[in-house]
Amino acid sequence: MRATLSKNKKRILSISLIICLLNLSGRMFASDENLVRLQGLEGKWQFSIGMKEEWTSPKFNDSSWESIRVPSPWEDQGYNGYNGYAFYRKKITISSKYKDRMLYLNMGYIDDVDEVYFNGNKIGSTGSFPPNYSTAYNAERVYYIPEDYINFDGSNQIAVKVYDAEQQGGIVSGDIGLYGGRNSVNLDVNLQSTWRFQPGDDPRRKEVDFNDSGWSEIFVPGKWEDQGYRDYDGYAWYRKSFVFKTTNGTEKMVLLMGKIDDIDQVYINGTFVGSTGTFPSRRGEEASTGQEYQAFRGYYIPDGLLKKDQKNIIAVRVLDTSGDGGIYEGPVGLITQTKYIEYWRKIKKDGN
Amino acid sequence: METKHFKLFALLLFLTISFNSVKAEDLRKIVSLSGSWRFSIGDDSKWASPSYDDSGWDQISVPGKWEDQGYNDYNGYAWYRKSFRMNDIPLNTSIYLMLGRIDDADEVFLNGREIGKSGKFPPDFKTAYDRVRKYIIPADYLKKDGENLISVKVYDSYLEGGIVEGPAGIFIDEDNELLNLNLSGKWKFQTGDNKGWKFPDYNDEGWASIEVPSVWENQGYEDYDGYGWYRLKFTLPQDFTTGELYLSLGKIDDIDDVYLNGEHIGNVYDLRKDFGYRNSGGEYNVRRIYKIHEGLLKRNGLNIIAVRVYDGQGLGGIYEGPIGIMSAENARRYKNKHHNDNGYNSFWEYMYDKFFGNDNSNND
Repeated sequence: MRATLSKNKKRILSISLIICLLNLSGRMFASDENLVRLQGLEGKWQFSIGMKEEWTSPKFNDSSWESIRVPSPWEDQGYNGYNGYAFYRKKITISSKYKDRMLYLNMGYIDDVDEVYFNGNKIGSTGSFPPNYSTAYNAERVYYIPEDYINFDGSNQIAVKVYDAEQQGGIVSGDIGLYGGRNSVNLDVNLQSTWRFQPGDDPRRKEVDFNDSGWSEIFVPGKWEDQGYRDYDGYAWYRKSFVFKTTNGTEKMVLLMGKIDDIDQVYINGTFVGSTGTFPSRRGEEASTGQEYQAFRGYYIPDGLLKKDQKNIIAVRVLDTSGDGGIYEGPVGLITQTKYIEYWRKIKKDGN
Repeated sequence: METKHFKLFALLLFLTISFNSVKAEDLRKIVSLSGSWRFSIGDDSKWASPSYDDSGWDQISVPGKWEDQGYNDYNGYAWYRKSFRMNDIPLNTSIYLMLGRIDDADEVFLNGREIGKSGKFPPDFKTAYDRVRKYIIPADYLKKDGENLISVKVYDSYLEGGIVEGPAGIFIDEDNELLNLNLSGKWKFQTGDNKGWKFPDYNDEGWASIEVPSVWENQGYEDYDGYGWYRLKFTLPQDFTTGELYLSLGKIDDIDDVYLNGEHIGNVYDLRKDFGYRNSGGEYNVRRIYKIHEGLLKRNGLNIIAVRVYDGQGLGGIYEGPIGIMSAENARRYKNKHHNDNGYNSFWEYMYDKFFGNDNSNND
């Protein structure tokens, strides 16, 4: 957007400077927020090689498992030469005093691929498991924990599924722990989960009856480079169906899409809802993007568009011009306008 | 040599300064709207209404972007509300609401009634972040006793948002004091071009209503470039001043043809020698003042003005006053008052014309 560029040249300059510094200082948090470390999760975790669906569940009894030190390659702890699947599990108590801020689990660097469950709910995944194997050993795992998954002042189960293809494996390094971000958003419909995903571009992909069953899966939020699409720049579409319950009320709703790299167009049930950035008007034309990837998206949903107690479809068209791409930072979900106003009032009050 | 250079330098300096100062419009602030406003993010059409209770809302300082006032990172809709009192509603003048620069799009209501909008809200989003908001206030929308309420719906796509830059206030156009008959207010308007629209008996009842003076972009024609016609029917008051009369149409973006009772009374190019127009590209900045031929204006009965406007790009329409009829004496005072700002966009345009232009009318 040429016009917007000119109005904020100074900001662009300073931001480019920051980006340069970030690149120089190596990898930082996936999120550009200032996350505060609340409690460390280094030390002893329960560990087992292999993979079973039930190991993701908080009900599973892992007392017979071995314990392993985190972070550290499993090769250094008696599993020299082991490649393949393994699970890490740990219980954590989260104080209710953290209730009003967004909480993140930092799992450090995992070699090669992981999927993280919190009380049995998948909260993130990086790299890609076989058969479409893709490593993400050099990506720091920072996953947002949706508030409604957390049992405050009680026991919470973390389960980490890891796949290692070769050489060292496991949760190998990093500042493993629970981190606090900005004020929490109490979403009415949490959409941070697995979405359908397909690179490329086709306007029909926004339609309700478009068949996306052949599409692959991706976790939202999370950049696609970490989820099997390394070095991919260009167009891609995300689709997600959800049920909007009558109990969610009749109020105006806001769709939070967090942050998207670089620009996006969002459709609900085939109808355009909102956009950030300017897409090229013709094929082959180059898109000009600037700071759109940093914009926090909140799209107000036109009245009557959400179908009550029925399936609704969100389709998101994303164009990434270079570097990281995709819906990379939450919160992602629906919230009533009243709660959204309260959320911003609180941010202002807390000077966050 | 040295003295000559100094003189030239002094002249350049003087002209630069004087050009900067005459660029400002002759508007006088009668109510300041800077300072604390009620503010809420979100969107609800009820928030335009004076009966809505906003006492629970946050407060925000205007002008100033909301990112600097606790809403860093916020993008989307927000509303601003502010009450004010007017002990005297000025008569016979144009009253403007100025809100300065709003990022990106806005819609403005006075006492619950829409008075203008700029840019476009989603789904056909269009920014107007670089446009100074100046909306004409229909005098009958204002309450003389009691509170008046301005409500502003703002949409920001990303980066800075809100009523970001002033001035914010209610202004009147002092030039309107020179009008013997003020014709600003609601006119008829139609996009397109048709020779038949100049005739007095043409039926314009199906046309839209538009505030004059105001850019048509403020009145629902956001993207429109091209031809548009304005029409107004009016009668002269009894005992209206006699003698030579002039029709003032303020400033028009870009080109006009003016008809009174079906007869062509002028266009911007006629003003070349007389008042202002110098070179192509500067038409929008010329003050339109056309002599009304004797006998053309009906002392009794309906008179009809039809103005054909062509706008090449950007903002368009009859956008700045004074709009109305002046006596010869007032027209002379008006011309003298704006003697210095006749038709140049900048000092450099003026210099260019002085040195390279072929018009010698000013060398007297």
